[in-house]
Amino acid sequence: MEGDYFDCNVAIGSPMAGLVGPCQTAQELLAEMDWCGVGRALVRHVLMKEHSPAVGNPALSTAIAGQPRLVGTWAILPPQTRELPCGADFFAAMRRDGIRALWAFPDEHRYLLNRVTFGRWLDEVAERRIPLFVARHSALRTEPSSMWRDLFALLAEYPSLTLVIAAHGDWGEDRYFRPLLDTYRNLYLDISRYQDDGGLMELAKTYGAERLLFGSAFPETPMGGPRLMLEHCAIGDHARALIAGGNLSRLLAEQVLV
Amino acid sequence: MSATALAARQSALVDAYLAKGYAADCGVIDLHGHFGPWPGIYMPNASEDAMLATMDRCGIQVLVSSGHTALADMALGNPEMATVARRHPGRWYAYLVCNPRYPGELEAQLASFDTEPAFVGLKLHPTMHDYPLDGPAYRPVYEFASERRLMILTHTWGHNELCGPEHLRTVAERYPDVTFLAGHSFHGEFDAGAAVALACPNVYLELTAAYSVRGLVERLVNLVGSERILYGCDLPWFDPHYALGCVLFAHISEDDRRAILRENGLRLLRPQLQKRGVTL
Repeated sequence: MEGDYFDCNVAIGSPMAGLVGPCQTAQELLAEMDWCGVGRALVRHVLMKEHSPAVGNPALSTAIAGQPRLVGTWAILPPQTRELPCGADFFAAMRRDGIRALWAFPDEHRYLLNRVTFGRWLDEVAERRIPLFVARHSALRTEPSSMWRDLFALLAEYPSLTLVIAAHGDWGEDRYFRPLLDTYRNLYLDISRYQDDGGLMELAKTYGAERLLFGSAFPETPMGGPRLMLEHCAIGDHARALIAGGNLSRLLAEQVLV
Repeated sequence: MSATALAARQSALVDAYLAKGYAADCGVIDLHGHFGPWPGIYMPNASEDAMLATMDRCGIQVLVSSGHTALADMALGNPEMATVARRHPGRWYAYLVCNPRYPGELEAQLASFDTEPAFVGLKLHPTMHDYPLDGPAYRPVYEFASERRLMILTHTWGHNELCGPEHLRTVAERYPDVTFLAGHSFHGEFDAGAAVALACPNVYLELTAAYSVRGLVERLVNLVGSERILYGCDLPWFDPHYALGCVLFAHISEDDRRAILRENGLRLLRPQLQKRGVTL
């Protein structure tokens, strides 16, 4: 499996505070990927969350330029304020910079991730099959059910959206997300913080390995933990290959950025 | 692409774990386990058989657990945990959970320690029991442990009004014959916790949950030395391969890895095992 791992959840840049071991550059990230045997990574820049995406998005594009193992993501904002290009211009810019997925940080950027705010815009994201990543965890919320309520509402409004719930907490939150897996076929889980013993195997067997994406949440968390966990999850090599990178590669191949 | 798994090239332990999921020459000593279901989380592998299977799969040679039921109800849960552990001598041992909120029951529970071969230490959880680690109701526990030179695993957390670094420093200095295992290594206040470990030779830093902070294992090794760091993963909460991967792929020496995963825990556990005629 070495080298087939495609990490869906890594960040580079210099966070304002909080990390014991930040990863500031693409070169540092690539070195850690080599150390852990991870071939590719879907990358965001810390400025996409800690600053305006108007600054963070181009920072990401610049940081990973010329690195074929690193695939870029951008953050979104509500279209009403016109801080980012809108509609077709946004998707054209994504294509120009090789950006293949999106992140939403509704708490940090102070908006509601719902139809009233995004309207037709998220329909277009869904139609283009662009994965939208949302981190369940937010330092601005202490009550986990709060974010899950928002995600339940979001999917009810955009049931065909390709949504990836990332970093959904060290405490397994199966009682929250399993109903969503039952209901929405385009929902995926990043396994970066899903440490429950036996949980990954049970999820893969119950919902299909196709719904799970290998991620590490690096550099908040080490890459080696989820890497070894997946390596020895008793789900068979085919399912493991899907989670390790096959599913993410398929998702990125399916999107239509026109 | 140059994914070359450099860690495996430089570490026999990483190589063994990537290949087999365990290292035959480094059976892991896990000093922070639990047992049974838990209210706030679904745990697929919380049963006795499932936990043993996980231990086999991940190369956990010895586990020491406090029962989840015992954390909620000492009288109900401590005997339950002991019964499970007693069925697996040399493999599974138990902490006696001590809740200072019920001094009468606490006294009765402590009285059961000496006659129960499964118990090898005591477990405190100041946040669950909402009582400060250095509060007077814990005094009988510390005196009991001091008389027997026992180890105590206590939940610790950073910036916490019940079990932060200074709370443990106070009791560790007062009871030098007790070995204190700081569960979670004062998560979020790691440097202050390391300072307590440096000041108090009877304090060890235990890694459950802390291992998932990138760079923390390396930082603690640099601050206090690997001989003062213990492996644990809250089994059955967390997949040991996740926890082990965090330690194994850390940028530390092979000797450091072996110290954390096995040698330190074995050194602490050995006096209790010798009393039971168990040699590891």
